[in-house]
Amino acid sequence: MKVEVWGARGSIPAPGPETTRYGGNTSCIEITLSDGSVVVLDAGTGIRNLGIALRPTEQPLHILLTHLHLDHIQGLMFFAPLFRPEAEVVIWGPASPEASLRDRIARYISAPLTPVEMRELPCQVSFREAETTEWQIGPARIHAASVAHRGPTLGYRVEDDGSSVCYIPDHEPGLGASLAELEEEWISGFDLARKATLLIHDSQYTDDEYPEHLGWGHSPLSDALVLGQRTGAERLLLFHHDPLHSDDFLDALSGEATARWQDLGGRSDQVELATERRELELRAGTVASDPRRETAQPPL
Amino acid sequence: MELSSHRPIELILARNLLSSLSTPAFLASGPGEIIFYNEAAGGILGQRFEETGKLSPQEWTNTFGPFDEDGEPIPLEQQPLTIALRANRPGHAVYRIRSLSRSERKIEASALPIVGIDGFQGAMVFFWPVDEVTE
Repeated sequence: MKVEVWGARGSIPAPGPETTRYGGNTSCIEITLSDGSVVVLDAGTGIRNLGIALRPTEQPLHILLTHLHLDHIQGLMFFAPLFRPEAEVVIWGPASPEASLRDRIARYISAPLTPVEMRELPCQVSFREAETTEWQIGPARIHAASVAHRGPTLGYRVEDDGSSVCYIPDHEPGLGASLAELEEEWISGFDLARKATLLIHDSQYTDDEYPEHLGWGHSPLSDALVLGQRTGAERLLLFHHDPLHSDDFLDALSGEATARWQDLGGRSDQVELATERRELELRAGTVASDPRRETAQPPL
Repeated sequence: MELSSHRPIELILARNLLSSLSTPAFLASGPGEIIFYNEAAGGILGQRFEETGKLSPQEWTNTFGPFDEDGEPIPLEQQPLTIALRANRPGHAVYRIRSLSRSERKIEASALPIVGIDGFQGAMVFFWPVDEVTE
């Protein structure tokens, strides 16, 4: 599998000169499976650039939404394949007792918020409420489970060709509990993340910021690190950066994260902060290459 | 990969809530196993959850009761937890329980079913000692 980050920012896009290196687009991850097909995780504003880069394909394009907060769906309206009549797009997302997935997304893709109604999208689009279980997409086994965040929210695990990616971008597993002390069965998202080749996880707040945001649905750095360490993740990609965190701030946070990860017994090359356009190649349960140093690209 | 050992998120969040409360309360899984009780409940029962661990319905009943005013066991189907688990509706009752120190307490208990996206997951039971108030 190949993983590429198209948006790593949380809450709201944060464009500007202060955020050019880590990027200002909101959550979107592209996973290229072993057969070349693509699974997209979330549709934040990062999906716009992904849509431009994607080559037209006859295979259905699967978009797995963790939840329907705006920073995870805002890019849908600007995702080029949705406007190609020949494209087939399958959108997965959490079920809700309130309304169907399609109807909930249509609240965004409809007047007065957008000039296009859902029924006017020229592509073949379908909606599937992801059961909190597992299913197959091409060569990949997909697992979904509800996780601790505000409102119906899923985390995903994608397994293909001996490697696994766990994606839990909005997650507060330490709310009201100490992650270091809880038994595994009581930790939200634990099984999804267990021994993942790559764990992409919420780390929106510093530990000092977290007390002011308790219950907002996001993790402080320490909880992301402890979860990664306890689940035995091979690589941890810290994600969903706070829009107030500048590149310089995130550089400092990256250094702190590495030092603390090592304090927990990990290696320094196992943890990093997600940056836009970062690519990771996963082979046989390990991160096989580190294109970050090979293909440095100017940020958009 | 089997994802079977994970508790449903509704139970995880319920445990987090109960562990933060000073109201005595316990949490039961769908099959009726007592999977958690908080520190306040432990104070009444005479032992912390970390010491007893999970309890089957039989272990719970044999250890703590509940009993009526005459000391007779209350039938399972009349207990608030059973009502919440089997009838999927709230249950409420006043009864006596026995702590591990063998002292008896009169308590008032309310059980609420926990229903999530995937359906019925278990129940929460809140209880208050009422003997201290009335005596």
